Amino acid sequence: MTDTPSTQTAQPKSVPTWRRALPPLIAAALVGVLGYTLLNPAKNVTTGGPLIGKPAPAFTLTSLDEVPVSLASLKGRPVVLNFWASWCGPCREEAPLFRELGAQQTANGAAILGILFQETKEQNARDFIKEYALAYPNLRDPGINTGVDYGVSGIPETVFIDRAGIVQHMDRGGLTRERLNVGLKKIGVKGL
Amino acid sequence: MRGGVGCRLSAVEANSNRLTVKPSKRRKHLASCLLTSVFCLSLAHATAPATLPLTLPPAQEGRAVAIQRNLRCPLCDTGESIADSRSDISVKMRSSVREQIADGRSDSEIYTFFSQRYGNFVLLDPPKTGRNLLLWGAPLLALGGGGAALWAFLRRRGPAPAPDAAQDAEPYDSYLDQVRRDTGGGGT
Repeated sequence: MTDTPSTQTAQPKSVPTWRRALPPLIAAALVGVLGYTLLNPAKNVTTGGPLIGKPAPAFTLTSLDEVPVSLASLKGRPVVLNFWASWCGPCREEAPLFRELGAQQTANGAAILGILFQETKEQNARDFIKEYALAYPNLRDPGINTGVDYGVSGIPETVFIDRAGIVQHMDRGGLTRERLNVGLKKIGVKGL
Repeated sequence: MRGGVGCRLSAVEANSNRLTVKPSKRRKHLASCLLTSVFCLSLAHATAPATLPLTLPPAQEGRAVAIQRNLRCPLCDTGESIADSRSDISVKMRSSVREQIADGRSDSEIYTFFSQRYGNFVLLDPPKTGRNLLLWGAPLLALGGGGAALWAFLRRRGPAPAPDAAQDAEPYDSYLDQVRRDTGGGGT
């Protein structure tokens, strides 16, 4: 208390370094946070989502070969769900990866399922399957009910479901080998 | 690469670029293609067996429209509501809203249904709870904190020195003095 007058006279001359550095540091931190948040959404858009860590929404759909397929029937196996359509360019680019992945699976390995999303003409989808020699079931989703349940906002979108039926990873906007492997690793499937 | 393939090939191809998440560089060009593709798609869907639109009593209809205005079309970059959007997914979501209202679900249950699938991104009026409170509260907190800091600063500094004192302290400048005399200003 008694030394206040002396500090008051001394203070204006010698401001501590940390106090002089504080305003530019705060400004730099704000710029940093702004930059980080501006750049981050672009990264988040392709993966993640509210379904991660939750049980995969159940469905029973009919394949183009008229075989009913339900997710429940695949319990105990990891599942890779791919929403696609024949008119979607990136779906074409990733199709060879799915053929390769399908060929690599054993009877107890990952189950791969395609689900058509806003397919305008079924014959186009059949031609697509033939062109890329896809050997796994591709299912119709009339009314996009399953698409909405999985929060599909654009295609291609791929959902990686583990053996317990929990969604572990989602990837939007076209897979590369690396991105596919990230999802496969999360559900305990050997990568390509 | 991906943004470029679309429009040259066909109108429907253009739509593929629209639906992918990555933004297209040729947006203007795409927009014109999109118009034609939307037209083509609506033609294609006119032939498909459409589910009959559910008729609701006027009060429920009003609720449905209000909810549809508050839900964002998940694949439109423009932030359009599903009430305004013409995309297939919005059509589907609109009918889903009506079905859920007919099933007797409350507004909040319907919003929860969509936010569980698409995240809070889909809500055009996000709830003021949980983490969102920070969004609403942060400006007020910043205002309060800034005000307190300013008050403390002014109080510690005491009354501001008179402007004359500052002027007296400045070193004598003959040129500035000349200017002041010529303009007749410059205070006392």
